[in-house]
Amino acid sequence: MNGDTKKKSTPYTVPIGPVHPALKEPVMFTFQMEGEVVRSVDFAPGNTHRGIEWMGMRRNPVQIVHLTDRICGICGVVHSLSFARAVEQIAEIEVPPRADYIRTILHELERMQSHLLWAGVAAHELGFDSLLFLAWRVREQSMDLIENLTGNRVNYGIVQIGGVRRDISDEQRPIIEQGLSYYRGLLDQMKTVFLDDSTIRMRCRGHGLLSYRDAQILCAVGPTARASGVAMDVRHDYPYCAYGDLNVQPVIPPQEFGGPQGDVYDRIIVRLLEIAQSIDIIQQCMDNMPAGEILWEKKYPKLLSVLKKAQGEAIGRVEAPRGECMHYVRMDGNDAPATWKVKASSYSNLMSWIPMIKGEQLADIPIIVASIDPCMSCTDRVTVIREGSAANLTKEELTRLSREKTRRLSQC
Amino acid sequence: MLTDIILTVAGAVLVGIFGIIVAFFLMGIDRIVTARMQARIGPPLIQPLTDMRKLFTKENVVPANAIPWLFNMAPVVALASAITILLYIPVGGFPPVLSGGGDLILVMYLLTLPALALVAGGFSSGSPYATVGAQREMVTMIAYEFPLAVVIIAIAWKLTVSGIPLPFMLASVQANPVWGLVGPLGIIGILILFFVLLIVTPAELSRIPFDTPEAETELAGGVLVEYSGKNLALFTLTQGVKTVVMASLVVALFIPYRLSAILPTPAILQPVLDLLFYLVLVVLVSFIAVSLIRVSMARFRINQVVSAYWMYLSLVGIAGMLLIMADHILGVV
Amino acid sequence: MVRLPMVTELLMQLFKNPATNAFPARYLPPSVTKFLYNVAQGKAAINPPVTVPPRFRGKITYDRESCIGCQLCMRVCPAHAIEFLPSTKRVRIYVTQCIFCSQCNDICPKDCLHMSPEFLLATENRFADSQIVE
Repeated sequence: MNGDTKKKSTPYTVPIGPVHPALKEPVMFTFQMEGEVVRSVDFAPGNTHRGIEWMGMRRNPVQIVHLTDRICGICGVVHSLSFARAVEQIAEIEVPPRADYIRTILHELERMQSHLLWAGVAAHELGFDSLLFLAWRVREQSMDLIENLTGNRVNYGIVQIGGVRRDISDEQRPIIEQGLSYYRGLLDQMKTVFLDDSTIRMRCRGHGLLSYRDAQILCAVGPTARASGVAMDVRHDYPYCAYGDLNVQPVIPPQEFGGPQGDVYDRIIVRLLEIAQSIDIIQQCMDNMPAGEILWEKKYPKLLSVLKKAQGEAIGRVEAPRGECMHYVRMDGNDAPATWKVKASSYSNLMSWIPMIKGEQLADIPIIVASIDPCMSCTDRVTVIREGSAANLTKEELTRLSREKTRRLSQC
Repeated sequence: MLTDIILTVAGAVLVGIFGIIVAFFLMGIDRIVTARMQARIGPPLIQPLTDMRKLFTKENVVPANAIPWLFNMAPVVALASAITILLYIPVGGFPPVLSGGGDLILVMYLLTLPALALVAGGFSSGSPYATVGAQREMVTMIAYEFPLAVVIIAIAWKLTVSGIPLPFMLASVQANPVWGLVGPLGIIGILILFFVLLIVTPAELSRIPFDTPEAETELAGGVLVEYSGKNLALFTLTQGVKTVVMASLVVALFIPYRLSAILPTPAILQPVLDLLFYLVLVVLVSFIAVSLIRVSMARFRINQVVSAYWMYLSLVGIAGMLLIMADHILGVV
Repeated sequence: MVRLPMVTELLMQLFKNPATNAFPARYLPPSVTKFLYNVAQGKAAINPPVTVPPRFRGKITYDRESCIGCQLCMRVCPAHAIEFLPSTKRVRIYVTQCIFCSQCNDICPKDCLHMSPEFLLATENRFADSQIVE
C-alpha cells in the first residue's frame, strides 16, 4: 500500500454530509483524498439553524429557560443552567444552597448519560454495534433516574431562575443510591470492554491526534482538550453551583494508560473516567445536601416582575459534557432580554477536526468526527442566506459584522 | 445422454432453490442470534424473506453517471455465480450435482466471481463511495485469497500423500475425512487450518470486522450505495447464498461426516437425517464465523485487513500446513 | 495478544432475556392500522409500555370549573400553547404545541391545571379532540 502513495495520483474529492450515516447531526465535509488518505479537509456547519435565539428574544426569561432545554437534546440542564445563571447575575438573585446541590446532582447525572450515549455512538462509528447496545442499555438507568427526579426523560424542565422546580424527597434518595451503586458495579466492566479490547485499541490509539499546543491554539474545551493534556474544567477553574464545596479536578488521561497523547483513545479514557468522577460528585452532594428552600421566589408573578425590572448584562458559564458552555444575556427593563447569545461547547471544538483528520485514513473519519462529541444543533447559531441560497462570509466581512453588532449592543 | 442432461439440469435447479431457502434460513438465524447477543429481541425468522419481497417490488434506480448495462448486469452475474458454486460442493449431505465437472481449484476461482461482480457494479455506479468501496473490495479479495489457498492446498496435499486419487475433488475430500489420516501433530495442524478458514469466511462475506468495502458508517454502504430495488435484492441474496457456500465448504472440508453412517437408520430416513445434520452443522459454522465474529469486534481499517490476512493469518495457515507435513514425515519415518 | 472482552459478555447474553420491552407488539403487525383497530375493539392486546415514575409530566388536564380566567398560565407558557377564549373567559390548550414543562401548573393560582401520566398522544390530526384540552 505504501508504494501507491508515491505514484502520481491526483487527489479526488469525497463529500461527506450534510446527511451521512457517519454523522449523527448534519454538517457538510469535503475531503481531498489521495487513495485512502485525507490530504485536506473543509467543513461547513449551519444546517440545523433553528432561530432559537430569535424566539428567545420574544419571550420572558421564565419562558426561555424551558426553551433552552431544547437547544440540545442531551444537555438540557447545561443550557438552562447556563442561561439561568446569567439571568440570576443580572437580577442579583441568590440561589438557595439546596437548589445548588440539586442542580449539581442533575448536572452530573446528565454528564453520565451524555458520556454513555457518546460511548455508544463511538462504538457504532467503529462498527462495534454490540457495544452500542451495551452502552445504551446501561445508560437507560441514568435516564430513568433523571425521569424520576425531574418528571421527564429528555427535556427535564427542572431549572428555574433562582433555583430548581422539584426537590429531591427522602423517598427518592434510595433510588439515587441504587442507581449510583449500579454504575459503580458496572464501571470496571465498561472500562474492560472499551479499553482492553484489541480491535478498539487498534482503531483508536494514535489516531485523530490533537497536540497540547493545537488544543490551546484552537481553544478546544472539555474532554477534547483534557485528552490532549490541557487541564481545564469550568467546574474547577470557575466553580459554580455546589462545585465550590466539592473537590473537582480536571480529568487527564492517567499514566497507567500512557498519559495524555491527545488521540481518540484518550478521549474514550477521559469520558469513562469522568463517569466515575460524576458518580463521586453525586455521592458527595447526596451526603452534604443542606436543607432549605429550593427556589429564591416561589411566586412566579413576583419573579416575573423582578426579572422585568432587571437591567444589565452577564455571562453564565457551565462545564457541559462536551466542554465549556456560555450564555450571554443582556436585559434592558423589558419582558424579553435585549440580547441572548449561546456559545455551545462544540463551537469551540469544531476547529480541532482539521488537525485531527489531516493525514488520517478515510476509515478513521467517522470515529474522529465523533470523538469530539459534536453537537451541531447546539452550535448552529448562524446561517447566511443570500438571494435564496446559502452563502459564505469572508473573514473580513465577519469581523466587520461582529463589530457592528457589538456597537449596536453596547448602545442599548 | 439426454436423460443425463435433464437430470443434471433438474438437480441444478433443485440445488439452486434449496440453496436460496437455506440462505434465507441462515440470514434469519443470524439476525436473531445477533440480536439476542446484543440483548435485543430481533426480527422473526422470515424477516429476510419479507425484506426481499419488499425489495423486489421496488424500482431499480440507476444513477445518471452510471454505466447502465454493467450496473444492471453485476447483481445477476453475482447471484448466478454464487449459485453455480453450490453445484460443485456437497450440500445437504448429498454429493455435488456436477461432481465430475470441477474440483476445489474451480470452487476457489468461482468464489472470486461474486466479489468481482460486486467490484464491477461498484465501479460502474459512478459514485465516489462506491468507487472507494470497490477498491477496498478488490484489496480485501486479494488479501483473503492466500490464506484460503493455503487451507485448500494443505488438505489436498495430505490427501495426495495418503494415496487418495484426485485429491482436489470434493467427492474424495468428502469420502476421506482428513482427521482420520493424520496423527496428533496433524490434528493440531488441521485445527489451525479450520480456524483460518473460519476467519476467512467473514471477509468472503463482507461482514464486520472485514466489511470495509461496505462500511456503513464510513461509506454508507460502499459498493452497494447506489443499488436499490431488485438489484439490491439480488446482491443481498448473493450474500445469503455465499454464506451457504462458505458454510458448506467448511463443513465439506473439515466436518464431512454423515449421521446416517453412524446411526443405524432405515434407508428412507437416511437423507432426512443427513439433511438435518447438515443444517445443524451449517448453522453452527455460520454462528461462529459470521454472527459471533461480527458482534464481538470493531471494523478493521483496510490496511489492517490486509496485514491481518497476509501477515498473521497466512503465517498461522502456513504453520498449520507445516504441522501436517511434519506429522506426515514423522509418520512415514 | 488479541483481547476481546466482549465475547464472553455476548455469549452469556445469548442465554439471558432480551432487554427490549416489546411495546406495543413483539413484532411489527402486517397492518399497523388494523392492529390498532383490533386493539380498540378489544380483539387484540398491546404489550404495556414501561411504567412512568410518579410526578411524570404527560398530557395536561384542565379543571374548567375552578379556572378564573386570570391568564397567568399564558404568560409563562414557553410554547404559546395556551389560547384565551374571551367569550367564556376560559383557556384552550393545544397539546400538539405543549412542551410538557408544566410551568402553567406551577403558576396557576387556582390549581386547575395538572399533568396526567398519559403519554401515548400520537395522531394524524393535530386538531383532533384528543389534542385539544379545554
